[in-house]
Amino acid sequence: MDTFLGALVEGILHGGIYALLALGLVVIYKSSHVFNIAHGEIMMFLAYFMVFLVSSQDLPIGLSFLLVIAVGAGVGLACERIFLRPLIGKPMLITFMVALVMGILIRSIAILWHGGAPQTIALFPSGYIRVGDLSFSSTLVWSFVIALAMFLLFMLVFRYSKVGLGMRCVAEDHQTSQSLGIDVKKVFALSWAIGGSMAAIGGVLLGSLTIVDSDTLGLFALVRALPVLLLGGLESVPGALVGGLIIGVTEILASTYIDPHIHGFRELLPFILIVAVLMITPHGLFGLKRIERV
Amino acid sequence: MLPSGVLTTNYESDMAIVRTKTQWLLLAVGIGLLFSVSLFASNYWLTWLTRVAIYVVAILGLHILTGLCGQFSIGHMAFLGVGAYVVAVLTSQLGLSGWLCLPLSGLAAGVVGLFFGLPCFRLKGFYLAISTLAANFIIVWLMEHFQWQNAEGLTVGGSVGLTVPRLTLAGIDLNSKSAFYCVAIAVMLAATFFAKNLQRTRTGRAFVAIRDNELAAQISGMGLFRYKMLAFFIGCFYAGVAGWLWAYSIRSVNPLQFGLDDSIWLVGMLIIGGMGSTTGAFFGALSFSLLEEFIDRIRPVLEDAFPSMALQLNVALSLGVFSIVILIFLIKEPRGLYHLWEKFKLYYRLYPYAYMRE
Repeated sequence: MDTFLGALVEGILHGGIYALLALGLVVIYKSSHVFNIAHGEIMMFLAYFMVFLVSSQDLPIGLSFLLVIAVGAGVGLACERIFLRPLIGKPMLITFMVALVMGILIRSIAILWHGGAPQTIALFPSGYIRVGDLSFSSTLVWSFVIALAMFLLFMLVFRYSKVGLGMRCVAEDHQTSQSLGIDVKKVFALSWAIGGSMAAIGGVLLGSLTIVDSDTLGLFALVRALPVLLLGGLESVPGALVGGLIIGVTEILASTYIDPHIHGFRELLPFILIVAVLMITPHGLFGLKRIERV
Repeated sequence: MLPSGVLTTNYESDMAIVRTKTQWLLLAVGIGLLFSVSLFASNYWLTWLTRVAIYVVAILGLHILTGLCGQFSIGHMAFLGVGAYVVAVLTSQLGLSGWLCLPLSGLAAGVVGLFFGLPCFRLKGFYLAISTLAANFIIVWLMEHFQWQNAEGLTVGGSVGLTVPRLTLAGIDLNSKSAFYCVAIAVMLAATFFAKNLQRTRTGRAFVAIRDNELAAQISGMGLFRYKMLAFFIGCFYAGVAGWLWAYSIRSVNPLQFGLDDSIWLVGMLIIGGMGSTTGAFFGALSFSLLEEFIDRIRPVLEDAFPSMALQLNVALSLGVFSIVILIFLIKEPRGLYHLWEKFKLYYRLYPYAYMRE
């Protein structure tokens, strides 16, 4: 029973972080209809940047975290301005492909800059937090808290601020928003900036949970974000949270109970979930079913 | 636009792919030259050309799937891997004849492709791309985790991979570079012939209709699901055949050869070459392989110039250059080299009456 409860709580803790990973993708997809599959690689790049600030420049952790978030927004803006702005109005598969290749470009830059050697970030003091018989690594708990806080902050901004209203309007319809006087391009840029800073937070949190590695971190993040997104629905912010929790719990439960029997099952599970979700509920739990009219 | 003086007088000549006597002659000479290369080219370039032929076969499959039918696959290298593994397992473990494995590897890859194409029942566009992306990882994971002891007690499969026995035909060893090059070219020509003709059949026209407008195609009475699955099957069949060539050209297979990056490069080659034309597949494979060759030549120079970054350059240079080239094509010329070639042909056929282009 303890194993089960432990796995359940750990799954929820992971799920919160996965939800944050997916949120960055949702924000960009909602406004600009670009599926930013390079999100994972951007995260990896920014996690390396964090390592650079902390270990090479000897900046305090808090300050460098803030700096990385700012740089993340800049990276998001740059990606939008250089690669995606010329493609406004092009078919979605083209933008998808651009994002995919952009991810590889970002990875190659990260490798050139840092040599691709695995690094670690110590964001939080290491140790364990005990609740009754269960104990969880404090990094995990703190990451969960930060991820959830960022998630709630974004939801509040999205719902109650004027900027959020503009973003929701653009998500609904580009042309209408334009004629209502909303600068659609500015909203695109803004959503990429928000997506970039989400990538920064997610990258640093993931980097402190696992290791910062040019080969694995980006993929790890993307692979967790994809089933979360598909399950929650591509356009849905609350869907990302619900999907994140479900996927997180499923993953930890499966790795606790199945991994001893089938070695390495945990790495495979997200992909099985992707295919399963696509086959069973393709538009997710909270996604929009778009009906095409002639 | 046709060259001046070529007139269409009946239906057959309108449908013909090779239109004039000059074209027939050029085609025959071209094919003859392709085969005769095996007589004088060095082993290095024969290997290179064989690789190009394999890419062409794989990209032709992708061209049918993406270029004609509009369904994306970014797991194509893994489907190719399925074909390669089928050959490796069947010939080295069960002792089947290599030639029997040619259709078998195509079929196996096709069936696996069908499975991952299933989501296209209700979805389109990039959802499908994500499904094939997952397919790539699932297939590579399976390759990495299945290992067993063979008759001699050696561990095969897993991350070690398998070795492929020699290919023979009626007692002739086809293992030398030049002989296998001829096999690869023959397969490539057959694949091209089939792909080129598929475009002109009812099925091919249905694919194009689905690509251009799914709704209109469905209203016209085409079974979307059926045709999409067929496109998946044919595309992955091609990948499987390319995998057969791959297995025999390298003589050993392991999971590392079929990563996601390679799948992305295959789609990149299709984009560089130009979607929706068989010629584009040739342009794509050739220009990409030339680029690969160029990077291999320039890498030592750069490593000498920046010795402190030698290790990074080794990995990052090809990733960076390929991705930049593909991005430039996607943003500036998404119709690829084939479109440029068409524009050039139009230009010299109309020269000096450029205004005839309207």
